[in-house]
Amino acid sequence: MTNNLWRNHILPFTLLVGLLGVATLVGDYLLHRFNLVWIGRYLGIPGTLLIIGSLIYSLRKRKMITSGNMKSWLSMHEVGTWLGSLMVLLHAGIHFNAILPWLATVAMGVNVISGMVGKLLLGRSREHVLGQRDHYQLRGMSKEDIERAVFWDAVTLDAMTKWRKVHIPIFIVFAVLALGHIISIFLFWGWV
Amino acid sequence: MSRTLKWILAANLIVLAILAFVYPHLMVGPGKLIPGHAKLESDCFACHAAFTGAESQRCVSCHKPEEIGKLTTTGLPVQNPLTSTPFHQKLISSDCIACHSDHAGVKRFRPTGQFNHRLLEKATRDECQGCHKSPKDSLHQQITGNCSQCHSQDKWTPATFDHAKYFELDRDHNVKCATCHVRDDYSRYTCYGCHEHSQQKIRREHIEEGIRDFDNCVECHKNADEHDIRMPGREREGKRKHGRKQDDD
Repeated sequence: MTNNLWRNHILPFTLLVGLLGVATLVGDYLLHRFNLVWIGRYLGIPGTLLIIGSLIYSLRKRKMITSGNMKSWLSMHEVGTWLGSLMVLLHAGIHFNAILPWLATVAMGVNVISGMVGKLLLGRSREHVLGQRDHYQLRGMSKEDIERAVFWDAVTLDAMTKWRKVHIPIFIVFAVLALGHIISIFLFWGWV
Repeated sequence: MSRTLKWILAANLIVLAILAFVYPHLMVGPGKLIPGHAKLESDCFACHAAFTGAESQRCVSCHKPEEIGKLTTTGLPVQNPLTSTPFHQKLISSDCIACHSDHAGVKRFRPTGQFNHRLLEKATRDECQGCHKSPKDSLHQQITGNCSQCHSQDKWTPATFDHAKYFELDRDHNVKCATCHVRDDYSRYTCYGCHEHSQQKIRREHIEEGIRDFDNCVECHKNADEHDIRMPGREREGKRKHGRKQDDD
């Protein structure tokens, strides 16, 4: 793998995922430190609403709605899901109580990462590999040498393409599990 | 999404749904129940009503208010009661959830060991000693009842005892109680517990002013201001030095 691919694509991706993890840990620590754990308990509601709101992009992409700028919806989708996920992660905390909500949290985590692969890595990595191929071709390298030179980048790109495909199925899993969790809360929790 | 993937997803979710109904305590229950409720683990509706949460009526179907603190739910006498006097019989209503919770994950968010005394009948609420034992120190041993003149029903400390009525605890006297009240004896005090006031120095200063009865300091000195002297049986003397009027200074 070339240094460029790592520095320009993998590193920002890692930082954004890492930031989500660090923000969760810091937020969880502060809520405990200042005896505000009850806030974390209710953060699941705005977090879920943000994630649901960010799905407008998915509807727009599939032409189920026609209004609004695609780029704006995509930005809203990225920011909304990142923030929503942070709130849900804080809501989950580090307390393991029931299996269903934790499976939902894991599915959400996989979904966020697969979304970031799409945003930060896939497009740019594809451009990067094509650029490398063109570059080697211009230098007069043989087809075999070019394939050998871009081998690891191509393998990485292939893995990322597969990872990206997980985004929609894992979202369905997350949605169903989260719905199960929400229904169980409404069923058993005393809101009044 | 391929057809196979859709089927795999659907099958997994169906299995999870079945597991949620078969093992609700593991799949959706927010943590373990207390040991006494362990048998109810997979019977959520033994305590919960659909969409309204845990219900006091369901608690009292097993825990009869007239027996709480006296008999167990199986009718046997309580061996080690948590309180010296049963008090659930004196509650104004059966609102169990106001004080009790279950499930490890829920209890974490609930303050433990706190009891809202307003849930008690008025007469019982005023009889603190019915449930609470008086502290062993000599001050509290002298007092019977009427705790509310110093303590609130929300917290034992801080007590609202007005120390300034006897002596003002200003910044020079912001010390531990034991500095003046030795061995937790609040019926006595000493002003010689710190370096500032030595018996010899105090004696000399008072003799100089012609004062021979100076054993009970707070009789005349209600604060750290040595000029603010209040002689018993007389109106406040104002700013004066011992025995001498300010005009004389």
